[in-house]
Amino acid sequence: MLPDDDAHDALGPEMRDRCLAITRRDTLKGGTAGALALALAGAPAPAAGEPSAAAHPMPVNGERLPIRTSVNGRPVAAEIDTRTSLLDFLRERLDLTGTKKGCDHGQCGACTVHLDGQRVVSCLTLAAKAEGRAVVTIEGVSDGDTLHPMQQAFIDHDALQCGYCTPGQIMAAIACVREGHTGSRDEIREYMSGNICRCGAYVGIVAAIEDAAARMERI
Amino acid sequence: MIPTPFPDRPRFDARDMVLGRTRYAADRRLAGMLHAMTVPARIAKGTVTSLGAEAALRVPGVVRVLTPDDFPEPPPSAEDGPPPPPPTLTSTVSFRGEPIALVIAESLEAAIEGAEAMRPVYAEEPFQALMDGLEADREEAEPYVAGDAAAVMARAAVTVSETYESPTQHHNPIELMATVAEFRDGRLSVHECSQSVGLAKYAVFAALRIDPAVVDVRSPHVGGSFGQKGLAQRQTALIAQAALLTGRPVKLVMPRGQIFHVAAYRPRSRHRVELGATGEGSMIAARYDAIQEQSRQGFFPAAEYHEAPIRLYGIENYLGTGADIRLDRQAPGWMRAPHAQASCFAFESAVDELAWKLGQDPLAFRLANDAARDPRTGRPLSSRFMRECLEEGARRFGWKERVAQPGSMTAEDGTLIGWGVACGAYPSSMPPAIARLRVGADGRTRFAVSGHEMGQGIRTAIASVLIEELSIDPVGLEIVIADTTSVPQHMTAGSWGTAGCVPATMKAVERMRSAVAELVGGQRIAGNLHRQLAMVRRPSVEVEVSELAPGQKPEALEELKAGGIVAMGPEYPAFTSMSYGAHFVEVRVEPRTRRVRVPRVVSIADCGRVISPRTAASQVYGGVIWGIGASLRERTEVDPRFGGYLNSDIADYVVAVNADIEEIDVGLIDRPDLIANRAGLKGLGQVTMAGVSAAVANAVFHATGKRLRSLPMRIEDLL
Repeated sequence: MLPDDDAHDALGPEMRDRCLAITRRDTLKGGTAGALALALAGAPAPAAGEPSAAAHPMPVNGERLPIRTSVNGRPVAAEIDTRTSLLDFLRERLDLTGTKKGCDHGQCGACTVHLDGQRVVSCLTLAAKAEGRAVVTIEGVSDGDTLHPMQQAFIDHDALQCGYCTPGQIMAAIACVREGHTGSRDEIREYMSGNICRCGAYVGIVAAIEDAAARMERI
Repeated sequence: MIPTPFPDRPRFDARDMVLGRTRYAADRRLAGMLHAMTVPARIAKGTVTSLGAEAALRVPGVVRVLTPDDFPEPPPSAEDGPPPPPPTLTSTVSFRGEPIALVIAESLEAAIEGAEAMRPVYAEEPFQALMDGLEADREEAEPYVAGDAAAVMARAAVTVSETYESPTQHHNPIELMATVAEFRDGRLSVHECSQSVGLAKYAVFAALRIDPAVVDVRSPHVGGSFGQKGLAQRQTALIAQAALLTGRPVKLVMPRGQIFHVAAYRPRSRHRVELGATGEGSMIAARYDAIQEQSRQGFFPAAEYHEAPIRLYGIENYLGTGADIRLDRQAPGWMRAPHAQASCFAFESAVDELAWKLGQDPLAFRLANDAARDPRTGRPLSSRFMRECLEEGARRFGWKERVAQPGSMTAEDGTLIGWGVACGAYPSSMPPAIARLRVGADGRTRFAVSGHEMGQGIRTAIASVLIEELSIDPVGLEIVIADTTSVPQHMTAGSWGTAGCVPATMKAVERMRSAVAELVGGQRIAGNLHRQLAMVRRPSVEVEVSELAPGQKPEALEELKAGGIVAMGPEYPAFTSMSYGAHFVEVRVEPRTRRVRVPRVVSIADCGRVISPRTAASQVYGGVIWGIGASLRERTEVDPRFGGYLNSDIADYVVAVNADIEEIDVGLIDRPDLIANRAGLKGLGQVTMAGVSAAVANAVFHATGKRLRSLPMRIEDLL
């Protein structure tokens, strides 16, 4: 992992010396991390939507715990830091970055996923709680390239702007329909208020859920 | 000739967004990546005498703790050079939450544990966090002057003079500020959520004193910004340095509580508005003073509270003053409808109070005080359809059914109903642009231009022009924006994003058409451009164009290439260009709890020609919802005891949620302004919010008879 000296020339003499002094020292001290990084560099990229815990072994710190869970229908076995949230496990270990971190406090809903079919905020759910249970994320909602009716309705009603809260909104919206909370616009609004859209796409979100709810019933 | 309206078209990047495939800055996961966590100062002012990093370094997995000593001295600031980049880590604390160290670790959990294990020791100094009591310490801004407001005010038959207040507010996009940096093969690559990759790049090479040529910054998708990520961010150079010093990729996702303390925010401001009218109801004079909280080094300009109000009506005599009150806080900045959110609330509330005092209908009063030119410069307006906004809005809302007397419209259960109207305006600005368009015989089209996608739909607007006006295969269209390795990138802000790319897109389309026509000669070839190129055996054609704002000197292109902010407007050499809007709001106030609901809003905007109808409408929905949030919910609580903010998360900083929003009817006038630019468009994102809070306040007055002059308007204000 020692950066080659030539590469640092472009940084100018001061930064070059600063970088090289440190990287040499740290590499000698922390050989494990460097070897790990090198090993990862050659790891194949997983297909979209496919969890890949093997690609990112757990770094060395904290209390460890082995877990077995299912993510988007595929079995996942991994060793985790006991403090790891389900959100960070999905994003940082499995490369499932569709699920977003907006607050890490269970306040915004951007990290909403389904755990055994129920919507949960994955930032307040310990990864350890997924043991033996089924996790579904935004990457597991469509049928290949065929969109879920809720995904299509979000496009049709422009129920999104920046797209950042969108995965959480869609996961919450699918659950909202399944829970039977789409009896009126007011009911949809109430049951979708755990998912903040700062861009202000609420009018489109409510219209999309009304539309998709009708189509989901026909499936 | 009036161009035909653009058709409705789905958002360009919506499919990837609903599939969770769109990659934002924090979604970059690179091999061997380290995680970083910033350590914020726990004092508002003073010095860090010792960092206490030993415990952090003992945390398993912590690789390194960066301190101020790990950074070069800040670059010397030149008198006429660019403003200095943001400071890096500091041991001289000038506001609570300022980053004093950076913990780098093998995992996110270890980085957080390491940052929490730090035990810094401080030497505290006295500080000032609130402007109350400091009103006399004014740092005056350049006034906005038209005519002789003092003399004419003295002759006015009817006057109002009131003080209004707008609170400190934070942007709170749902995406957390995130940076990923990697140093590989001699290049420093930075992925960041930014409205200005050019400024982010500058922040890195200037603060770290390295060659600009080795730094690349990309920000293809921003998870909401609203001005927060416009200027260079504090963490960018920290993470870049961390990547250089460790030789490994480094990622920081800053926690929201820290973002509250380092990011920009809308400063609290106080507005004294005095208006004078003739007995018949013609507004003849305005005197308006605005003061705002400001940091010690901040430059968010107090003068610009007057940019919109002076141009809302044809008031010939206007004296607009403004001042900063300097405090020990981080710098305030541009937040959606900057200046105009607060100033249109104040001014349009005062206009309503004046209409009421004159006994006139607030809609008729506004229509009777229309402007024919810019009172500040005397120059013509490029276009103005505020009257059309008011008339269309009144028709859709059913304004003529309104009963003037406050408290006279009630529901059967005693709920008080109020109807209010207010207008907004916002400068229509335009930066220069350089664009490159390549069409290939293989069915691909690649278009590179300056711009950043924060959800406003800039890619959709660009695609709308390319697909509509160029015979290409939409499936093969790639739009490259927010990438410093591409064409020069200008900051995307101030509602000038569309003006900064769509006119250049149209010019590139024209150039491409003639280039292909020349190649094809007189031959008649059926099919699209790809097919035509294939038939003449030409792999691809590339054109490059540049576009300037009206009256802008060609040197602006050089400044653009050098990374400058060179947008013009609202004052161009030959005219002034403003966007306009009118909002009609119904409020319902519960008789016992006094809870205010907003069941119905009609909002009509004049943004010139509409390039992307669907995303433009979404901008208006968003602006109205921001207006409702600012009216009834949002206020950052500044802690006078310790500095910093008390409600620094989105459970305590309350924004509008789905249940707060009911029916919103949006309209766009869609009349091209071909004086403003070749596309006929004007800015939209900000004007959609300007005036909404006044419309809510005016509706609350109509419902209850109580005039609320301070935002947000909460239950306790109506009890």
